[in-house]
Amino acid sequence: MNTMNGRHDTAQMAPLLRPRALLFFAAAAVVLNGFFPALWILLTSLKTEAELVSKPITWWPQQATLQNYVQAFSDQPLLRYLGNSAAVALLSTAVSLVVSTMAAYAIARLNLQHRQLILTCIVASSMFPLVTLLVPIFETMRTLGLLNTYAALIIPYTVLNLPVCTLVLVSFFQSIPRDLENAAMIDGCTRMGALVRVVLPLAAPGVFTAGILAFVNAWDEFLLALSLNAGASMRTLPVGITLYQGEFSFPWPIISAALIVAIVPVAVLIALFQERVVGGLTQGGLKG
Amino acid sequence: MNTSTTTAMDPSRRPTSAGGPPPRPSWTQRLRDPSEKTLAVLLLAPAFILLALIVVYPIARLIFNSFFDQRLSGRKGPRFVGFENYLLVFQDIDFWNAAGNTVLITVVTVPGALIVGLALAMLANLPFKRQWPVRLALLLPWALPLSFAGLIFAWFFHTELGVVNDVLRRLGADEATLWLLRPPLAMAAICLTIIWKTSSFMALILLAGLQMIPKSLYEAAEVDGASRWQQFWQITIPMLMPSIIVALIFRTITALQTFDIPYTMTRGGPGNSTETLAMLIHKTTIEYLDVGYGSTLAVFMFLLSLAVTAFYLKRVGQTA
Repeated sequence: MNTMNGRHDTAQMAPLLRPRALLFFAAAAVVLNGFFPALWILLTSLKTEAELVSKPITWWPQQATLQNYVQAFSDQPLLRYLGNSAAVALLSTAVSLVVSTMAAYAIARLNLQHRQLILTCIVASSMFPLVTLLVPIFETMRTLGLLNTYAALIIPYTVLNLPVCTLVLVSFFQSIPRDLENAAMIDGCTRMGALVRVVLPLAAPGVFTAGILAFVNAWDEFLLALSLNAGASMRTLPVGITLYQGEFSFPWPIISAALIVAIVPVAVLIALFQERVVGGLTQGGLKG
Repeated sequence: MNTSTTTAMDPSRRPTSAGGPPPRPSWTQRLRDPSEKTLAVLLLAPAFILLALIVVYPIARLIFNSFFDQRLSGRKGPRFVGFENYLLVFQDIDFWNAAGNTVLITVVTVPGALIVGLALAMLANLPFKRQWPVRLALLLPWALPLSFAGLIFAWFFHTELGVVNDVLRRLGADEATLWLLRPPLAMAAICLTIIWKTSSFMALILLAGLQMIPKSLYEAAEVDGASRWQQFWQITIPMLMPSIIVALIFRTITALQTFDIPYTMTRGGPGNSTETLAMLIHKTTIEYLDVGYGSTLAVFMFLLSLAVTAFYLKRVGQTA
């Protein structure tokens, strides 16, 4: 490869040779940093218990087995945890998006007197440490009779994601030229019509980015899920997976298998939509 | 920060202040339209009702609780004790230990994640033929739950079976390092895990900022004979500042709340050498059911976060 290129443009070859190698190492460094922990867990999940405790440790599984996956589903109701996590994350994301789109549009577009103050209020709510809100939220949910229901997590997660979603969406709405909306309104659209037909389609990447941020945050959350939905049938994945470990035993291959099962849905989602996520983030940077 | 200035300035006034041709029809129309205010109230109401229920009310409740001796374990009802809980906090060794650990984690992992994140962002910004492996490698740690990262890295740092000690052994270390069993090493392992987990989110924000910097700036600097190092400090860093500030604010706030990673890696151990404020509050309220004292601890944490937020917002205001 290098010699062929070298013949073509000899003049540029000398400075190009080293950057090409550097480029490879740069990519390798970033990829290794990102993938290694997940890869290691995958390898661990394929090892037998006997191989795992042999010393020195092996890197590549010698006798790959899927037994750990079978046990991950039989030792704990992993499928149920998956369903709970998906339901809570999806529903809270949907509610977050609706609420924050409305608020962000008002902040970015309406003739508000205290728009900066309103935005600061919403963003400042994310500054409040979740653990300090835990006990009062627990009491509120108990009073409302919502403990061990999806709603117990969906309502706080919606609020948790409100600041991030609103910030992303405000910047998106601001990046959409006002003239487009004005033109639509001159052409006879109402304000809501302009919002739905002109602004929202243009803001779709922003809504999508906000949605993924919200989904991942909800999927990630541990403390509230642990405290509000401790009932066996309502546990989410992060809470459920910590239960594989006994008082003194750590069944690492089984935990690894459960982790892989829990990681795959989000990893697939991210892999499928990575360009839109990163593209959305890039467009979010426009305002800065 | 251009953002805040453009936001603060009412864009709808621009046509008039420009003094040019008559204002756009939509502007006058909107001024006469009284439904604008109603619309704003309707659009903002759901957000503020949720904030009132999940943030404002709990904060009020928290402050109220902190003046009572209230234990859910006993039969007795809450007893008003004034500032007694607050005085107890100052004498509480566990509080100072946890506060110290929290500040240490914040001071180490926030700059750590910024430096690693900036490095990752600059590497990821190189002109690769295939972008997706690098992009996915940045997205994956960000998407991984904190508690999973804690579990995975606890496994990495396992004394006999962990990959970290295996690599050290191959490099010639004679004895296995007791990562999670020695206080300073456990703290180091936790900080490394937090930096790994959070740097990719930093990198994603900074990468977006990097891609917004016009290439022409670097070309002009190249013509003027500026070195790569000068370009980095004179162009990259100043142009990236808004993204850096946003990333720092989010990272500091979450660092102060650190719970998941130490909880899954060490449960605060050995002893309580890696216990954070969030873990102490969780233990006091959820495990010991001491709501009064737990709420007082939470008030202190709340004030700490408020101080940090105010500091950042002031700095943001200065740069604007």
